[in-house]
Amino acid sequence: MIDSNELIQTRDLRKNFGKLEVLRGITTTFSKGEVAVIIGPSGSGKSTFLRCLNLLETPTAGQVIFEGVDITRAGHDLDLHRRKMGMVFQLFNLFPHMPVLDNITLAPRKLRGLSPSEAEDLSLRLLRRVGLEDKARAYPAQLSGGQKQRIAIVRALAMEPDVMLFDEPTSALDPEMVGEVLEVMKDLAAEGMTMIVVTHEMRFARDVGKRILFMDGGLIAEEGSPSAIFSNPQNPRTKEFLKKVLV
Amino acid sequence: MNFSFLGKYWQFYVTGAKNTILLAALAVLFGVAIGLFLALMKLSKRKGLRFIASAYIEFIRGTPLLVQLFIIYYGLQAIGVKFPDIPWIGAILGINFSDFMSGVLTLGINSGAYVAEIFRAGIQAVDPGQTEAARSLGMPHRMAMRYIIIPQAIRNILPALGNEFVVVIKESSIVSIIGIAELMYKADTVRGNTFQPFEPLLVAAFIYFMMTYPLSKLLAHIERRMHTGDR
Repeated sequence: MIDSNELIQTRDLRKNFGKLEVLRGITTTFSKGEVAVIIGPSGSGKSTFLRCLNLLETPTAGQVIFEGVDITRAGHDLDLHRRKMGMVFQLFNLFPHMPVLDNITLAPRKLRGLSPSEAEDLSLRLLRRVGLEDKARAYPAQLSGGQKQRIAIVRALAMEPDVMLFDEPTSALDPEMVGEVLEVMKDLAAEGMTMIVVTHEMRFARDVGKRILFMDGGLIAEEGSPSAIFSNPQNPRTKEFLKKVLV
Repeated sequence: MNFSFLGKYWQFYVTGAKNTILLAALAVLFGVAIGLFLALMKLSKRKGLRFIASAYIEFIRGTPLLVQLFIIYYGLQAIGVKFPDIPWIGAILGINFSDFMSGVLTLGINSGAYVAEIFRAGIQAVDPGQTEAARSLGMPHRMAMRYIIIPQAIRNILPALGNEFVVVIKESSIVSIIGIAELMYKADTVRGNTFQPFEPLLVAAFIYFMMTYPLSKLLAHIERRMHTGDR
């Protein structure tokens, strides 16, 4: 039966790209308020898994159950579910043809029915939280990578989602900008936002993650609390991976 | 070289140029509407729509404009399809409105096929991450197209689209054959009246150039300005 604390559940999720099996049956549950961090070698299917959760990739088989609804089934409005699942991309994907403010307010105005002034108030409040209220009128091209990513987070938050999906949010950043983005994510976690984060930032995983999922070869090879995974990994693949990344 | 005929005939060129501009502007408007529609059809998930759009584009691009003009002007009239004549507009412009609209329609239908390919390429050149970002916010496909993809596509295609405008201005001269009183027709009338085979046409060529050259310069300027917000 549906546990009221369950937010997203996947059942035997599979994804093939042609003959390549990228996901080979993932069954897991994400609870409200949880910060789940997905780690693993490249090509293990982490990003594909994340992108299957809001169906940017259509799974080949299996189910994604979001807030009690199987969103992989045809015949319902996927856009309504996506509005409650914010997503942050590796390459930011800000809309380059509009100023920061419009980037943030467009979706809330058109989809949540906020008036322009309501949407602007909300945006400025969120921008202040990430320390970028002075950039409201700037165009994305005028921002640094770290600023762009913080704006992208704000853009997703402006839809007031129930969960935030992060797809390697710091991988495209210059090293000195990684911190400012992780800081924002940390604050978000502290406020109780449900977060599912694909990342290579092991410190973030250890410090902020409530649960670590180690993926390998399209499967969850091991999962557990950060202390269990980082201090006492059971799976030899996990051990090998952590040995490489934790130098 | 003797350009003294201009004293008597300069109004011919003014009327002709004015009608050419009107003809090309309407044709371009029409062509862009058809082209955008066809491009969206061609990018559609539905096979039937894709097929119709491809068939249209290939057929129009694979047949001569003159044949298309005659099919619309003579062919459609022969089977009873005719533009209503609106005499008062015709009188103001000094043209036969029904014939004029045949010309607009032909040029628009023709240009639409080329514009469609320009739009399609422009839409496909927009980073797929843009669509993903829009869709992840919960925007329906149509909204993502309208607010995110097409505005960026237009910037991509502006040079090609501007070039197409220039092409339409030049190709509009072909409708002089069905007697539309545009620049080429008027120049040819002057040629006939003055028995000068050379100079009246040189004047026409010069006027065409004075339309197309500033237009391409203007478009280059707009393009530069649109790119200022970019990386």
